Amino acid sequence: MRKATKNNLITCGIVLVFFIVCGILSSVGIMGSKLSGLLIPIGIYTIMSISLNLTVGILGELSLGHAGFMCVGAYVGGVFSILAQDTITVPWIRIVIAIVLGAIAAAVFGLIIGIPALRLRGDYLAIVTLGFGEIIKSLANNIYIVKDINGIHFSFASPVTGTDAATTQDIFKGAQGIKAPQDTTLLLVVIVLMISLIVIMNIVDSNTGRACMAIRDNYIAAESMGINVTKFRLIAFVISAAIAGAAGVLYSHSLAVLAPKKFDYNFSILILVFVVLGGLGSMRGSIIATIILYALPELFRGLGDYRMLIYAIVLIFMMIFNNAPYFVALRQRIAALPIFDKFKKKKPEAAGGASK
Amino acid sequence: MSENTTKTPMLEVKQLSISFGGLKAVDGLNMTIDKGQLYGLIGPNGAGKTTVFNMLTGVYKPTSGSIILDGENITGKAPAQINCCGVARTFQNIRLFSNMSVLDNVKVGLHNQMKYSVIEGALRLPRYFKAEREMNSRAEELLKVFELEGEKEQLASNLPYGKQRKLEIARALATNPKLLLLDEPAAGMNPNETASLMDTIRFVRDNFDMTILLIEHDMKLVSGICEEITVLNFGQELAQGVTSEVLQNPAVVTAYLGE
Repeated sequence: MRKATKNNLITCGIVLVFFIVCGILSSVGIMGSKLSGLLIPIGIYTIMSISLNLTVGILGELSLGHAGFMCVGAYVGGVFSILAQDTITVPWIRIVIAIVLGAIAAAVFGLIIGIPALRLRGDYLAIVTLGFGEIIKSLANNIYIVKDINGIHFSFASPVTGTDAATTQDIFKGAQGIKAPQDTTLLLVVIVLMISLIVIMNIVDSNTGRACMAIRDNYIAAESMGINVTKFRLIAFVISAAIAGAAGVLYSHSLAVLAPKKFDYNFSILILVFVVLGGLGSMRGSIIATIILYALPELFRGLGDYRMLIYAIVLIFMMIFNNAPYFVALRQRIAALPIFDKFKKKKPEAAGGASK
Repeated sequence: MSENTTKTPMLEVKQLSISFGGLKAVDGLNMTIDKGQLYGLIGPNGAGKTTVFNMLTGVYKPTSGSIILDGENITGKAPAQINCCGVARTFQNIRLFSNMSVLDNVKVGLHNQMKYSVIEGALRLPRYFKAEREMNSRAEELLKVFELEGEKEQLASNLPYGKQRKLEIARALATNPKLLLLDEPAAGMNPNETASLMDTIRFVRDNFDMTILLIEHDMKLVSGICEEITVLNFGQELAQGVTSEVLQNPAVVTAYLGE
């Protein structure tokens, strides 16, 4: 079996085992309700970090507005679900349609942002996406939609009231956000996560992924190999946005209320932290970093005020562990210990040659 | 040189000029390269040789003049388009995709030959497997030619210098070009490596039916393999013709060695 395929299967296996074990533990009751409640957000955050890794790690472009795409997906999917609540009564059909719509909407926004920004090199994309995230948040803060018997009314300025007070139903209340039906289940999150993961890993291990990595490693050489640089940057960026949109739909359907202020700059940075600490370009790293770094602050809640202090120490330690030459050498030495030999029967010579 | 020479030349450069602000980096260059020829472009540092390469591959747009490749005008096209027309190059300062494996570097070169869509790749439809299989075997063939098949899983940046140069040539050949541009292929090589490189270049010309234009400072390599050369000095053509004659030209000797 090819090395890349094997690695991808291991990554999928890690995700499945983690969620199956946690799912069983929480249904048996060994895991407290607090921890069980973390599983859905962990899954959603993992989708976010692997999709951001496609942009930052594979394509090599810094995106600081990933929360913006999630926001678009969350609200498009959420508004759809509220409107369709009466017509489509089966929750899973409703949310699947919502996910598709949210992903398409986020992809469209990705295309709109990407076409001008991706023609430029360097920090432009970071600045444009940063602005985009903030604009989407502000826009969502000022949308008011209500539904009544006469139809749908909306405004971008002030709260609207329906013409028929008796049947008025709030759909989107500006800064207070939306109350989407809570259709998200852990199973659904895991399914979407697995699909996203497989799609992303397949893309990375294909023509498209190689083109993106070539662009990342050497722009001029990639061009001279006949790669249409703008096209492939746009493809990767739009796919990344679409998956973030799908994660957004799951998110808005997992919370009782979702206010736009959730999707601020800090949220984008948090996801970026997961990606960078997990290792740029490594999907498995992103997944593990997200699980650890999302769960830790919650597990440390008992420590009260000290928990963010410990969180910071963990972040610093992970950063050092990933990058400091001493730790890199230490990890290589540990990996070279005789007890690990049985895990790498194949080509011990090649491994030795690489480390020289 | 058989009946090919009577047909259209592989590359025809007419009055090619480019200026950066007030500086005329290349001024009125004319050059004709026949099919299957090994052609050298030499000149002192800063003469504008790499600038010529950058114009031929579309990195710079010439201010005036025209570039005709095998009868097709490619002047001012984008680098990716020019590659698709059949020009591939290597770089003076090696530009490999350093965080990708040796095999993947060559597969990037094969990108435009075996196409499949993003969706076919993402969903692993049959076309993906077919194209990937074909790509792998083509890439491995190329690596075998350059004696790199043992290192195919290694990162390109982990290869020793000489092999990185070879990989660059293999990657360029993977794009299936008609004209191969080599920018100082022997830079930083010791005499033994240079000698083996000369064999490689000849081998590529003969076995891949290739026309090769190369920039080089190593006169042993130039006089050893180039049939014709053009000498550039301060952006202008100083001499042109059969290698051995041009290298005897007093003006060329002066430009290289001083008075």
